[in-house]
Amino acid sequence: MTLTGAAVPARAAPAHDLYLCASINQNYVVGAKLVTLSGIYRRAADGSYQHFGQNYPYIISLAVDPRDPAVIQVASLNGALRTTDGGRTWRTGTSWDVTEPKDICVDPNAADHVYLALPDGIAVSTDRGTTWPRRENGLPERGKYTQVIQVDRTHADRVLAGCESGIYLTEDGAKTWRRVLPAKATVTDLRQSPHDPRLWLATTQADGALVSRDGGLTWKKLEGVPSAEALYNVAFDPTNPQRYAISSWTYGVLATEDGGKTWTDRNAGLPAEHCVFRVGIDPDNGRLYAGLYHVALYGSDDFGRTWRNDGLEGSIIYNFVFVPQAAK
Amino acid sequence: MKPRPGSPTMKASVLLFSALVLWSAPRLVAQPAWSRPPPAPVTAQDEAARRAAYLARVDEVLAWRASQASATGPLITDMSTIAAKLARHEDLDFCSRSVIAAMKEPGSGPFWMFPAVSVAYLGRDQLSPEARTAIRDAWRSVLQVRGDTENHWAMYYTSLYLMADLYPDEPGTSWYTGKSSAENLAEARDYLIHWMDLATTIGQGEFNPTHYIGEYAIPMLYLATWAKDPAMRQRGRMMLDWIFADLAENTLNGMLRGANARTDDTSVIERWNALASFFSWILHGSTPPTVNFGGWGPYFAVAARNYEVPEVIHRIAVDRGADYVQRDLKRTRRRWRNSDVLMAPIYKTSYMRRDYAVGSYQGGIADPIQTHVWDVTWAVPDPRGVHNTMFSVHPISSGFDMQMYFTELPDQMIKGVTKESKPSYDSPDKFLGGSRFEQVFQDRDTVIALYDIPAGTRFPHINGFFSKDLVNLTEDPSGWIFAQGGRAYLAYRPLAPYTWEKSSSWTENDKGDRRLCSPHLKNGTIVQAADVDEFKSFADFQAAIRALPLEFKLEPVPTVRFTTLRGAVVDCAYGQAPVVNGAKLDYTKWKLFEGPYLNAEKGSRKLTLTHGRLERVLDFNTLTITDRVREN
Repeated sequence: MTLTGAAVPARAAPAHDLYLCASINQNYVVGAKLVTLSGIYRRAADGSYQHFGQNYPYIISLAVDPRDPAVIQVASLNGALRTTDGGRTWRTGTSWDVTEPKDICVDPNAADHVYLALPDGIAVSTDRGTTWPRRENGLPERGKYTQVIQVDRTHADRVLAGCESGIYLTEDGAKTWRRVLPAKATVTDLRQSPHDPRLWLATTQADGALVSRDGGLTWKKLEGVPSAEALYNVAFDPTNPQRYAISSWTYGVLATEDGGKTWTDRNAGLPAEHCVFRVGIDPDNGRLYAGLYHVALYGSDDFGRTWRNDGLEGSIIYNFVFVPQAAK
Repeated sequence: MKPRPGSPTMKASVLLFSALVLWSAPRLVAQPAWSRPPPAPVTAQDEAARRAAYLARVDEVLAWRASQASATGPLITDMSTIAAKLARHEDLDFCSRSVIAAMKEPGSGPFWMFPAVSVAYLGRDQLSPEARTAIRDAWRSVLQVRGDTENHWAMYYTSLYLMADLYPDEPGTSWYTGKSSAENLAEARDYLIHWMDLATTIGQGEFNPTHYIGEYAIPMLYLATWAKDPAMRQRGRMMLDWIFADLAENTLNGMLRGANARTDDTSVIERWNALASFFSWILHGSTPPTVNFGGWGPYFAVAARNYEVPEVIHRIAVDRGADYVQRDLKRTRRRWRNSDVLMAPIYKTSYMRRDYAVGSYQGGIADPIQTHVWDVTWAVPDPRGVHNTMFSVHPISSGFDMQMYFTELPDQMIKGVTKESKPSYDSPDKFLGGSRFEQVFQDRDTVIALYDIPAGTRFPHINGFFSKDLVNLTEDPSGWIFAQGGRAYLAYRPLAPYTWEKSSSWTENDKGDRRLCSPHLKNGTIVQAADVDEFKSFADFQAAIRALPLEFKLEPVPTVRFTTLRGAVVDCAYGQAPVVNGAKLDYTKWKLFEGPYLNAEKGSRKLTLTHGRLERVLDFNTLTITDRVREN
C-alpha cells in the first residue's frame, strides 16, 4: 500500500531512508479486524509512504543493523521482533515474560548488541536479537519502567536509559547501571546530538527538558521550555547545530534555533487540537515533521513556521527513524 | 480494550430472532431462554437429572446459534455460528465454504484466536481440506496481537498452545511468531502455568469479572477438552472448577454481585446483565441468560459436553439456606509504575443472605477503569432490567492511574479509552470505577466507605447510586436515607451534604435512577442492610437504625465509630486499619479463600470446596482432584 504525501521539492537525492512506526487504526481494539495498514512505513523517492512488513498496530520503535539494512529490530506490543530479510519474514525473539517494549536500539560499535526498553526494566541481546536476557543490575526494583534507551555512538557498550525514576547510564554493556539523574516521573526521551557527542537532550513528564554537556553524566534543566505538562520527545536538526524541536500533547511543537537559549511554539498552521505525539527532523534537509495524534503527519521546511499535511491521515506516529543509505 | 460480545438491545434481538424464525421456518426453535419467564428457584437435583438439564441447555444454545444462518443463504464469517454447526455436525459444506471466506480476513488478536481454535478443532474431521488449509494459513500469515491484559493472554496463549498442539513439528516459517510448533507450545505452556500459579497462590488478577469470566472459562474449557498433554487437560479442568466455584460463592440467585475487578457501566447497576449470568444459567439453571447467550456463550457451548460442573459447586451455587461470610484474597492488575508494588493484594469480603448480599474490597484500584469496589444487592424474582443495587463511588479520572497500569504516554489514554468500549471513564456522573482515595470496610451487612480526595483531583465528589427500583425512599432528619429493595431494608448515611442529580446516561434503561452527588473532598458513606423478616415494619427498621450509636468527623481525616445492627463496634479512620470490637484488622492474615464453602491457604495451590458432607480438593501441586463424602 502506498499513501501519498505532498510532493517533495526537487533536491539532491536523500542520503537517508525515513522509517515511520505508525498506527493508522482509529479506535482499534485488540481482536478487531485490521482494516488499514499499520506498522512500518518507509518513505519512497516520490515522497509517498510505503508500508512493508507486518500489518500490526503496535510497532513502537525500530533499529536497523548498521552492517545490514535487511536486519531490522522492532519493539512491538508482542515483544521484540526481528527480520533478517528486509521485512519478508519475522520472528518474535522474546517470550511471554517480555511485553510492550517501548524502545529498541543497536550499538553501532558492537552491532550484535541490541537494547530493549521495557515497562519492567531492560533486556539486552548480545546475539543480534536472538535471545533477550534481562540486564537490570543497578536499576531499582520499582521505578525501572523504561521508556527510552539510546546508545552513545562514540563508545561501545555506553548506553543511557530514560526510566520512571530517572536517567540511568551503563558503560559496560548493561552489566551494571547507575542513576545519573533522578526524575519525578518518566523520562520520555533521550537524544545524542549529531554535532557534538557530549551533548544530550532529554524530555520528561514532570521535569521539563534537560540538557547534558558531558555525555549524560550531569544534567540541568533547559530554561524556557515549559515543564508543567509532559514533553514527549526531542529531536536535533542534523543540518543545523542550533536547532532542536520538542513534541508535547499540551504545548504542541516547541522549537529553538539558538541552541536552546530561547524557545517558541510552532503550532500556527497545525490543526487547532494539536496533540503532537512525535517530532522528527530529516538529516538531509532539516525538514521538521510532526505526528499529530490520530490526525496526520505534518511537515515543515521552515522549521515550523508553516506546515503542510504530509499524509498518513488518522495515524499515530510512534517514531521517526532515519537510516543512512550508506548502510546499504 | 476489547469488542464486547454482540449485545444488541433485547427488543432488537427479539425482532431479529423473530425475523430469522420466519425466514427459516423449518428451523423453528423454541423461545430462547433469555426471553422466557425466569427459571424457578433451583434446588439440588440428582446427578442424572442435573446432567440432563445441563445438556439440554447446551443443546438449546447450539441449536439457536446454528439456526442463525442457513446453508442455502450467503456465506458467513461469524465463527460462533460455524462452530455451533460443526458441533451439531450439520451443513458441513456450507461451514467449509464459510471458513474459507472468513479466513481471507482474519482478526488480529485473542478475540479472533479462540473462536478460530474452536472451529479448527471441531472441524478437523469435518471441514474440507481447503478449509483446514485456510485456517492453517491464517496462523502463519497474520501477526496476532497478544494484547496487554490477563484475559487477553489467557485467550492468546491457550489458543497458541492448542494450535501448536494441532500442528506439531512444524518450523518457524509456518507460524506468525516465526517460532516452531515446539517453541510456541513451550512458551504458551510456560505462561499458562505461570498464570495458574499466580491465581492459586496469591489470587486471581481480574477477579470476579462480570463479562470477562468468559475469556477465562472458554479457554480453560478448550484446554481441558483438546490439549494432548493429560497434565494440561487436567490443569484446564481444575481451573474451570476454580473459576466456577468462585462464581458460585459470589452469586445471588445466579447473579454475580459484590466487588469485581472488571465490569462495565451496565452490569454495575443492572447486576444480572452480564456474561456471568450465562454461566450461572448453563451450569445451574439459576437465572436467565443474557440476550444472545451473552454473545460468547455459544463458544462455551460447543465444547460444554466435555465438562460437568461438580455437585459440590452446584450446591454452593444454589443453596442460600444459610447466611455466610466469605473472605477471599485477590490481586490487582500489574502495575508498571506509580506504585511500590507490581501487584497489590485485594482483600475481598462477601456476606450472602437469601434476600440480599453485601460485597466489597478494601478500596483502591484493582483495574484503572472497570473496577467495582462494593455494593449491597438484593434478590428479585426476575432480574432482567432491574437495578437491584446500592453503592457509592468516587468517579475519578486520572492519567496517573492510567499510567500505573498502561505503558502509555500520559495524555492520550483518557481520550482513548472513552472511544474503546469504556465511554464513561472521563465523566463525572459515572458509577463505574475505583479510586485511590476510597477506603472501604465491611462487617457482614454493614459497609463504611471513607473518602479523602486531594484538592485538584478531577471529579472531586462522591456519586451514590439510588435505583429506580427502590421503594419507600425516605430522607430522614437523622441524616439517614431509608429505602427498600426487594426484601431488603436499606439505610444509607452520607457523611457530607449532597444534592440529587439525574442518573448517568451510560446504561440502557436508566430512567428513574438517581445520583446522590456529594461535592466534598472529605467524605463518606455508611450502608446498613437488613432483611424485612427481621422487623415488624419498615418504621421499626428505621427506628432501629436511628438508635445505632454513630459518631463521625471529617477533619483532619474522615473518621467513623459505628455500632452496626449486628452489634459490632467499628472504628474506621481514613488511612488506618479498621478496628472491630477493639481489635485491629490484620489483612496479612487473610487467606486465599476462607469461608464455609471455599478454603485455601495463601501460597498453597490447593483449594478445598465443601458443601454439607461433600468435599472436593483441587490440588495444583499434584494436579489431582479428590472427591469424598465426609463423615458426619
